[in-house]
Amino acid sequence: MSHRWGMVVDLDTCTGCEACVVACHAENNIATAGPDEAARGRAMHWLRVERYWEGEYPEAKLKFRPVLCQQCDAAPCESVCPTYASHHTDEGLNAQVYNRCIGTRYCANACPYNVRFFNFFNPTWDKPLNLQFNPDVSVREVGVMEKCTFCVQRIKAAEITADAEKRELKDGELKPACAQSCPATAIVFGDLNDPESKVSQLYGSGRGEKLLEEVGAQPKIVYLKRQATA
Amino acid sequence: MSDYSTTLTNDLLRPLIQTSWRFWLLVVLLLGVVSLGIGAFAYQVNQGIGVWGLNWPVFWAFDITNFVFWIGISHAGTLISAILRLVNAEWRRPVTRCAEVITVFALMIGAMFPIVHLGRPWLFFWLMPYPTERQIWPNFRSPLVWDFFAISTYLTGSSLFLFLPTIPDFALVRDKTTGWRHRFYAILALGWTGTTKQWHRLESAMQIMAIAIVPVAVSVHTIVSFDFSMAPVPMWHSTIFGPYFVAGAIFSGIAALIIAMAALRKFLHLEKYLHPVHFENLGKLLLMMSLLWGYFVFAERLTTWYGNEPSEMTTFWQTQRLSFAPLYWTMVTVNFILPVTILSFKKLRTITGCVIASFGVVLGMWLERFLIIVPTLSHKYLSYSWGSYRPRTPEILLLVATFGAMVLFYVLFSKLVPIISIWEMKIGQHPQLAHEHQTADEASTMWRTQP
Amino acid sequence: MSMDRRSFIKLTAVTGGATAIAACTTSNPENQLIRFVPDEDLTPGIAEIKNGVCPICRAGCGTTVRVMQGDAEVIRNGQHGVMTMSLAKKLEGNPSHPISQGALCPRGQASIQATYHPDRLIQPLKRRGARGSGDYQPITWDAAIAELVTQLDNIAGSGPQGLAVLTRPGASSRHDLFALFLEKFGAQAPIAYELFGDDVLRRASAISFGREQVPTFDFANARAVISFGADFLGTWGSPVSQMAGYAKMRGGRPGIRGTLIQVEPRMSLTGASADEWVAIKPGTEAVLAFGLANALGAKGLAQYTPAEVEKQTGVKAARVERLAAMLAEMKPAVAIIAGAPLAQVNGLSQALAVNVLNTTLGAIGAPGGLSFTPYVAPKRGARSLQTLASDVLSGKGTPVQALLIDGANPVHSTPPGWKVKDALAKIPFIASFGSFADDTSVMADLILPDHSALESWTDSRPESGTTKAIVSVAGPAMKPLHDTRATSDVLLDVAKKLKKPLAGMPDSFDAMLQASVGGDEPWGIATKQGWVEVKSGTRDSGLGTRSGSPEPRGASKPLPFTAAFDGEPGQYPFYFLPFSSQAFLDGSTAHLPWLQEMPDPMSTAMWSTWVEINPQTASKLGIGDADMVEIASAHGSIHAPALISPGIAPDVIAMPTGQGHETFTRYASGRGSNPVKVLAPVVEPETGALAWAATRVKVTRIGEPKGELIRYGGALREFEHHRG
Repeated sequence: MSHRWGMVVDLDTCTGCEACVVACHAENNIATAGPDEAARGRAMHWLRVERYWEGEYPEAKLKFRPVLCQQCDAAPCESVCPTYASHHTDEGLNAQVYNRCIGTRYCANACPYNVRFFNFFNPTWDKPLNLQFNPDVSVREVGVMEKCTFCVQRIKAAEITADAEKRELKDGELKPACAQSCPATAIVFGDLNDPESKVSQLYGSGRGEKLLEEVGAQPKIVYLKRQATA
Repeated sequence: MSDYSTTLTNDLLRPLIQTSWRFWLLVVLLLGVVSLGIGAFAYQVNQGIGVWGLNWPVFWAFDITNFVFWIGISHAGTLISAILRLVNAEWRRPVTRCAEVITVFALMIGAMFPIVHLGRPWLFFWLMPYPTERQIWPNFRSPLVWDFFAISTYLTGSSLFLFLPTIPDFALVRDKTTGWRHRFYAILALGWTGTTKQWHRLESAMQIMAIAIVPVAVSVHTIVSFDFSMAPVPMWHSTIFGPYFVAGAIFSGIAALIIAMAALRKFLHLEKYLHPVHFENLGKLLLMMSLLWGYFVFAERLTTWYGNEPSEMTTFWQTQRLSFAPLYWTMVTVNFILPVTILSFKKLRTITGCVIASFGVVLGMWLERFLIIVPTLSHKYLSYSWGSYRPRTPEILLLVATFGAMVLFYVLFSKLVPIISIWEMKIGQHPQLAHEHQTADEASTMWRTQP
Repeated sequence: MSMDRRSFIKLTAVTGGATAIAACTTSNPENQLIRFVPDEDLTPGIAEIKNGVCPICRAGCGTTVRVMQGDAEVIRNGQHGVMTMSLAKKLEGNPSHPISQGALCPRGQASIQATYHPDRLIQPLKRRGARGSGDYQPITWDAAIAELVTQLDNIAGSGPQGLAVLTRPGASSRHDLFALFLEKFGAQAPIAYELFGDDVLRRASAISFGREQVPTFDFANARAVISFGADFLGTWGSPVSQMAGYAKMRGGRPGIRGTLIQVEPRMSLTGASADEWVAIKPGTEAVLAFGLANALGAKGLAQYTPAEVEKQTGVKAARVERLAAMLAEMKPAVAIIAGAPLAQVNGLSQALAVNVLNTTLGAIGAPGGLSFTPYVAPKRGARSLQTLASDVLSGKGTPVQALLIDGANPVHSTPPGWKVKDALAKIPFIASFGSFADDTSVMADLILPDHSALESWTDSRPESGTTKAIVSVAGPAMKPLHDTRATSDVLLDVAKKLKKPLAGMPDSFDAMLQASVGGDEPWGIATKQGWVEVKSGTRDSGLGTRSGSPEPRGASKPLPFTAAFDGEPGQYPFYFLPFSSQAFLDGSTAHLPWLQEMPDPMSTAMWSTWVEINPQTASKLGIGDADMVEIASAHGSIHAPALISPGIAPDVIAMPTGQGHETFTRYASGRGSNPVKVLAPVVEPETGALAWAATRVKVTRIGEPKGELIRYGGALREFEHHRG
């Protein structure tokens, strides 16, 4: 069965703790920019938790929204990349092929969600922090764009295992690092082609809406709206 | 007639034959400026784009501003040369080569930036379509690949357009010189002997090129504008960008031409050939383009403001009232208010007046490109991801170096090639130059715009 | 230096070959490194999943560790070389673990960086320069152990106060081993100190419910939760299990969505998720709790009418009534209090008042309410850290001759008035087992660096976060990277080597662990799944309840009911609220670069400290965004950039803890400011716990932004296309 990977983020249970943010760094060998480069705006948080204040004291409210690559089906980043470094896979993912990227940064400019990041320098790690590297994820070099891949390395590994064991992937067997780490299980990941999967069931929720849907990029991620006191 | 012809030839060949110490000093200074830029580029290739001020989310700033700016400047040649040639405007004759030279060199400088701005510039050739072992072509849906085709076509075309009419002049120089110069210009003259057949072929070729180059020029800057308008982000995704950019390009091109001509007139003592009336005519064109530019800007701003779409309005207010307002209103002043004021009044439409207005326009058009790119990138839809931008030294050095390079190319070109087309001047309707100083009436009679 | 025969043969076998290879000149420097023979069976590219226990906080989350083969540059017997070894790559929550339930908080995720930290102490060190200079020389383990043995031998028999151990609170076999060692040595039990301790809450539970313990809350089954300052979704208690419960509270029951009410003067991370956020005057939470209890029918609280509550707390009377109505209607409801409300002189009364409220709500021992994990509290030292420091400085009692520091950093997290650093300076011998040079361990004379948690047997007995009595226990996920030794092994070794060896010590640490879970069978389960439920009879599974009574009973003297703040209000107009930061807690994780770069969820700050100020207050004081300000109390002053926040009361100034280390690796040393340095040495009288929320400060603008506040987020609000 062919897969179509999707995700649902429940903004009612997300507490903004950012376990997902750190888990993503750990899983994907994302370089730490350091204070000077972070001050210059070069920190690379493939997944960020946006926070927005509403109102004024004492009626102020704060809301959180994890934003990651929406794996758009009509991705603006894909049409503008001159070298097909950003392209669509047949499982619905927006792939970033580091080897093809020559760093025009057009994809980042075209992305309405600002979820693409650039290696302004060759990333460095103070040894032996590099020993923590995930061997399943390439370390990028200077001049190359990078972004959330829905932990494609985990997807591939799970698909290969399921293939070898001559069975289908079970729903929930495979989780990207963010979904796995979330203590509030606010991130649900799975196969949209499987109507029984949790993500498919949540996808049609009345609380669901997509981010910047009107821009027309056809994002894949459904956000379940925060609710009022019931 | 031969007096005039001789005087003309001598005057226009003098820069090729005589060189003063001032020339060498200027070249050395310009080489210094250019090498600063080369050094900055080498530093950036060695370290990474991080030595610039770019960041998340402002991934383009000075680099693409410079790119669009210089491609824009290159539209000078096309308009003056090709269009005026096609409508048989006689006053264009002393001006065409100056303009065509600007085009070629501005294009070369502008075309550098798609390479310079890359994260991995050593792989720039992946933008070119050639059969690779990776078995994929470039993505022809990408405006950057369109840029590659458009610019390379325009560069080829304008180089041809520049080179063709220089052939008779090269032949002239060949015949008048000896030694290394003779050999050098003999090569460039391609064996021109001035037969009727050759003249005929030259005129036909010029006519074809003149017709062909106009749509190419229009398409080039339209395609460059597509780099922005194809992205669905606030204030980029606008249908006005194609014509707006082309108009802006022609606008900046004319301004650059006026400045170049004024400099040549002064430093190469070409007062006899470049008359106030030339500047007046170009000044009128500049005025027209300024008004056109103002019209486009007004139409774009009014539509945005009237539509009141939230994310567009964020970017809108950034330029109108917030962080980018000082730059924005400077741009409006030097692109519109100043030129329109100076160029509307005949009394002010002197060479000096035109040059002042032109400097303003060059600054204003650079600002315009900057203000298209950075306010939008720093203020996209999700306000958590808003950012800001400050240029750093390597970017500033690169920018300064491009101007240095332009002047250097120009200076070297005018040292090696007659900057005013000698044969075209001679063939012109009124070849007689009665005396050195003409009255304005005499000049306008001679250089009247009707055939 | 001694080496056993096997390792000697291994080493020479490799060296012999390597010397031959090294003799060829190559341009690759790695070829000139010796390649050591790996001493484990490895399969390249295949991941093993092992169990682990997260060491960061007392929650004791069970983790899984993904381990894969890799090449590490190591030093063995003084030689640089490359060793192919198992390397921990990624931590996840253990899916079967009752507390982590398959998840892990950001600090837990980052904890792996402690193993691979570039500034980790990689071998024993002996102080060479002056104390605090950081000048050490490397020594062998044998020498280090001999030195420690000598020092302890010198003070043996000097009395129960001669040897002191300073550690962090938490129940574990490691802690028990320290306690046992001290007991056998004839010294007092370890002194456990942490800045954000829960002693006041424990004492209140003891008084009201007979359990000196932090309660566990059943959020999953609650319809309404009212939290007084408890950041239970962020930094307090057992955040992972509490978040899991919260998620079920919101969406785990079809058609039912629980409500969260957060009562605090500064919006915490938990407060951001609240349906109702109630600003309250600091230190008056007990009044509101009594007011709600009264409205819900509790006896003896008649004077706490809504109007009276409004008068004392600032919470509007109508709101008090509405909140009470909500709690009455949405059953089951539970109240929770922790953090700043208890870090007051009246902290114990505050906690007791909420106990009364919970009793009124019927939450004690009920679904959707609170209960107590079956648990045996660790032995506590008779002296508090504050008393120890003042005794050392005043020379009272038997002098402390030797201090062993295990994982506590009081120089960073105690108020200046306690003079901990001065006291340490007077102690003749200090040894530290920590893996890093921090503000406290840099005062040590001898450093015996522990393995990291991933390299050793680790265990934890959670005090809260689950209804089961469990022990989380796991063995090493990887071999030690450096020349470190498990502190438990060092203690056992020292115990044997003393002139008078200590009797009754376990044979090995894992033998002790095995005994702690109750024998072979539970041990088999524990080693397989990383935790085991213990059913031993020593565990107290009953819950002694008292009927809720407004008068606190069991206290040794009348408790203050009203908060008192240090500092004259005229001179120091603001309540100062240091809060546990999401990235660093009390500062113990500030050395981990992922956490420094993680944008703080509410401020989006990275690598920074900041001061939160209400917008009106800021404009009155002429303070703009990111301006440098000085925060001064009667005890100290610090500088930091200002952050204008809509979520803080106008008379409160808040600052995250965690930065402001003088020494704590390259990532945290000299970075930011430490709010603890302005705190008054006020304590809650009954427990002696630091009342860290009881200081008043003044705020002055001192200058323009200096680039010290690095933020990831752009705009404060979502739709910010204002007209300028």
